[in-house]
Amino acid sequence: MKSLRGYIFSRKFMGDFCHQNTQNLVLRDYCERKNYKYLLSFTEYGIIDSYLMFQECIDLIPGVNGIVCYSLFMLPENQVERRNFLNTVLDKGGEIHFALEGLKISTCSELERIECIWLIRQTMENCITTIYDK
Amino acid sequence: MLSITNKNSFLIDEDIDITQQYLKNGFYIAPAADKIALSWIKSSFLKIIKDELNIKTDSNEEQLFDLIHKKVPISELNSFRLSVMKKMNELPDFRKNYFKVAEPYLNILVGNELAMQVRVNLSIQYPNDNSSLLPLHADTWSGDSPFEVVVWIPLVNCYNTKSMFLLPPSENMKLNENFKQMAGSKMEDLYESIENKVDWVKIDYGNILIFNHSLPHGNRINEENETRWSINCRFKSVFTPYWEKPLGSFFEPITLRAASISGMNYKLPELK
Repeated sequence: MKSLRGYIFSRKFMGDFCHQNTQNLVLRDYCERKNYKYLLSFTEYGIIDSYLMFQECIDLIPGVNGIVCYSLFMLPENQVERRNFLNTVLDKGGEIHFALEGLKISTCSELERIECIWLIRQTMENCITTIYDK
Repeated sequence: MLSITNKNSFLIDEDIDITQQYLKNGFYIAPAADKIALSWIKSSFLKIIKDELNIKTDSNEEQLFDLIHKKVPISELNSFRLSVMKKMNELPDFRKNYFKVAEPYLNILVGNELAMQVRVNLSIQYPNDNSSLLPLHADTWSGDSPFEVVVWIPLVNCYNTKSMFLLPPSENMKLNENFKQMAGSKMEDLYESIENKVDWVKIDYGNILIFNHSLPHGNRINEENETRWSINCRFKSVFTPYWEKPLGSFFEPITLRAASISGMNYKLPELK
């Protein structure tokens, strides 16, 4: 059974916030359903743009098979930084899962799929996103 | 309401006709655009159903769908439905074939740069079963964006109560005007207030229904002798508002175009 290190956030990501215990519940449920061994989560620092704990998680690969993040949108907003992290995970033979979205990256093509979703999400900030008073 | 005519749009006449039908009726029914893709979907379902029920041969495979209530007890219906749907969604070509069945109509009604729901839904409605009803609702009331359409594909012929109903846009406007008066009412009261205004969709296998899910719709007890099988999936233009069904977990882009890819990757040169 593959083992995945949990990774959760203690600050907002892309405008969203989720309590840490809820994030952990989602990770645990994801690993149970997908038959992965869930390793207790590392919690990212609340300092803006901090990815110190994320780097810690990456450093554990290949001792663990990969990382399970609560959401895809916890990754760095900066594209170069984001791709560097993800490429490092792949270069080390690891994989990264996103429990909320049910997505994962274990190959280059999966990385491009995730990157596409990221770019659209960022582009949406410049598109209409609300409808009258909704 | 904004309308589209050949005076204010560059769409060709045929596309304007389809657009006007959709806006007027709240839905559009058309033959499957790709018959091979539709056959692939139905035969994949058939294979999964036969595996689930351990049926080696069946002389009348066509009727297996309509008469499934004779093979699966109602107490097992939901677990059966979930299992079939899970297996279908795991087939790598399922969503691509689903898209092909509706592609040209989606290009006209939604656009050519689309996001598609990640998981396709399955409805199985037994005759005289009140356990799998979908009461009157509009998807926008519970978080779907009004920029979406639903592509609804019947796997059997659907008619009368074996089908679904939809409130036409003109009647929906009247309903919305009086909506406050419904405060404290039950959904059944709401249904009764529009019961004689709704359209019941008559659609045979081989055709698809594209409808506006912001219009109230649902089903009632199936009083026909056959089971309804239908699948549904939402599509929207990629760069339109998402409400509670986000990009990534619920929707995924399927037809991004070159200019958007270039634009999203573009960075202004920096002097410092």
